[in-house]
Amino acid sequence: MRRRLPAVLLLAVLTLLPPLLPERHLATFVLLALAATVTVGVSLLMGYAGQVSLGQASFYAIGAYAAGLLAVHGVPPLLGLLAAPVIAAVAATLLGAPLLRLRGHHLAFATLAVQLILLSLLAQADWAGGAIGLQGIPRFSIGGFELREDLGYAYAAGFVLMIAVLIARNVIESRAGRGMRAAATSETAAAASGVAIGGYRLAVFALSAAFAGLAGGVYAFYLGYLAPGSFPVLLSIEFVVMAVVGGLGTIAGPLVGASVIVLLVQALNTLGTQPGMPGYAPAVLSYAVYAIVLIVCVLYLPKGLVPPIRDRLSVRPATPAPDHV
Amino acid sequence: MRLTVDGVSRAFGGVYAVRDVSLTVEPGELRAVIGPNGAGKSTLFALIGGQLAPDTGSVALDGEPVERLPAHRRAARGVGIVFQAARTFHGMTALENVMVGAHATTRSGFLSAALRLPGHHREERHIRHRALACLDRTGLAAWAHRPAEELPLGQQRALQLARALCGEPRLLLLDEPASGLRAAEREHLATLIAGLRAEGRTILLVEHDVAFVMRLADRITVLDLGRVIAEGAPAEVRADPRVIAAYLGPTAENSEIKTDPAMVRPPAPRSGDRGVHP
Repeated sequence: MRRRLPAVLLLAVLTLLPPLLPERHLATFVLLALAATVTVGVSLLMGYAGQVSLGQASFYAIGAYAAGLLAVHGVPPLLGLLAAPVIAAVAATLLGAPLLRLRGHHLAFATLAVQLILLSLLAQADWAGGAIGLQGIPRFSIGGFELREDLGYAYAAGFVLMIAVLIARNVIESRAGRGMRAAATSETAAAASGVAIGGYRLAVFALSAAFAGLAGGVYAFYLGYLAPGSFPVLLSIEFVVMAVVGGLGTIAGPLVGASVIVLLVQALNTLGTQPGMPGYAPAVLSYAVYAIVLIVCVLYLPKGLVPPIRDRLSVRPATPAPDHV
Repeated sequence: MRLTVDGVSRAFGGVYAVRDVSLTVEPGELRAVIGPNGAGKSTLFALIGGQLAPDTGSVALDGEPVERLPAHRRAARGVGIVFQAARTFHGMTALENVMVGAHATTRSGFLSAALRLPGHHREERHIRHRALACLDRTGLAAWAHRPAEELPLGQQRALQLARALCGEPRLLLLDEPASGLRAAEREHLATLIAGLRAEGRTILLVEHDVAFVMRLADRITVLDLGRVIAEGAPAEVRADPRVIAAYLGPTAENSEIKTDPAMVRPPAPRSGDRGVHP
C-alpha cells in the first residue's frame, strides 16, 4: 500500500485538478504534463542509467511529427498517437546504435548535434511543412468522439503522464531495471553478473524516447500545428533542468521539477509582461530562470528537490547491526 | 565445470602480463593461483572472466572456447566473479545488488517489466527468494535493505560473493577475496569457500595471501613474471625451490608467510615438507 500511495496521489491530482483550473491555465497544465512525461524519460536515462541526452526534444519532435503527418494523411488519430512513441523509439534505436558508444559529455554533445541536424532537416522537408510548419492537423478523436476542449487535452496529457510514470516505476523495480541501474555504477561488475550492457543502454534510450514521442503525439493534436521552431534546443535543456532540479533517480523528481520550472517561467512571464517592462523582458527572464535555477540547485541541492524531502519524510526501518560477519 | 586455459598470452604496450599460460581446473576442484605482485594474476583472472581478451591462446569452459565471448555471455554459461575491489552497485539496496547476480539465469526484459506481463511476478519472487538465501549464507541478512554503499568494506566484499552466488555459478572466480579482511572475517570466508567447494562448484582463487590458500586449495598454480613456474598440491608447491626463490625472494624473513598471523606454523611444516618432496 505504501508503495502505491504516490501513484494514487498523482492519479488524484491529474483527475481532480483540471476541472478546477480556469480555462486560461489549462494550456499550462497540458504543457506541464507533457513536459513531465518527457522528463520522466530523461530522469530514467540520467538518474538510473547514467546517460545524458541534450537532444530529448528531438524525440518529442519525432513523435509529434509522426502523429501529425499520419493524421494529416487521414490515418485515425488514435493510430497516429500509438505510432508516435513507437516511431520515436525506433528512431532512438537507430541513432543510439552508433551514438551510445559514446559516454558522458561526448554523448551529451552528440545528442545535441542530432537535434540540430533534425531541426535543419525538418525546415527543409516540404512534405513535413518545411520551415513554415505542418498545418491542419485534425483534433484528436476516437470513433466519433472528438476532443475539442482544453479540458479534454488536460486529461489526455495526464493520462499519458500516468502511463509514463507507471512504466518507469515498473521498469526500475524489475530485473531489467536493476541491470540498468547496476551498469550505471560499474559496467564491469554488471557485465560479470550477466547484464548485456550495450543492449540495455539502447533499450533505456529507446524507452525514454518513447515517452518523449508519446508526449509529442498529444502535443501535435493539441496544437494542431507543428513547426521546427516548436522544438528548440532550449526545450531539450529545459527537460534536463527539470530532471536535475526535481532530483535524478526518483520518480517524483521529474514531476516536481517540471512543475517548479513551468510555474516559475509562467510567473516570470507574467511579471515580464507587466506595463513598464521592456519588450525583451519575458524572453530574458525565462532564459535566466534556467540558468539561475540550475546553478542554485547544483550548489545547494545537488540531489535535487525530491530526495532531501523524501529522506525527511520517510522513517527508515532501523536495521540492527549484525552480530556476526 | 572444467576450466581449460591453453597457451594464453596477453601483452600491454609490448610487455607481457601473461605469457603462454596453460592450466586445467577439473570439475569440483579448488585451484589457487598465487604469485608475487605483478606476476600476472589479475590479468589471468580477467582473461578467464571476460574482462580482457587474450592476444593468443584459448580459454574453454567444459571444452567450449569462450575467449572471444563478452563477460555477460560467460556469466550465462555459469561463471561467477568476485572482484578484488568492492564493486557494489550504488543507489541500490544490498538485496537489489544480490538480485542483479541472478541476471545470467533469468530472462524477463524491459517489455515484460514495463507491461507487467504474466510470469514477471513469478520470476521476481524467485529472484528475491534466491537473493535472500545468498545474503543469509554470507551473513548479510541484517543488511538486506540498507543501501549497498553504506555497508562496511568487509560486508561489501561479502556482498559481492553473495551476488556471484545468486547466479548459481558452476565456476566461481575469486580475486583476492581475503585481502583487507580482519582475522575473524577471513576465518568466516575460508569456511564459506570450503562449503562452496563441498557443493561441487569449481573454484579458481587468485590470492596474494599464501597462508590463506595453503589450507583451502586442492592444487596451486604459481605465476611469476607472467609465466607458470610451478603447479601442484600445496605441500609440493610450498617446498618447490623455484617458488621459494620467486615468491619469497632471497630474504624469506620479510615474506608474507612469516608476517601473516594466520600462518602459525612457519618453520616446522616447511622442514617436514622438504622431506616429502622428491
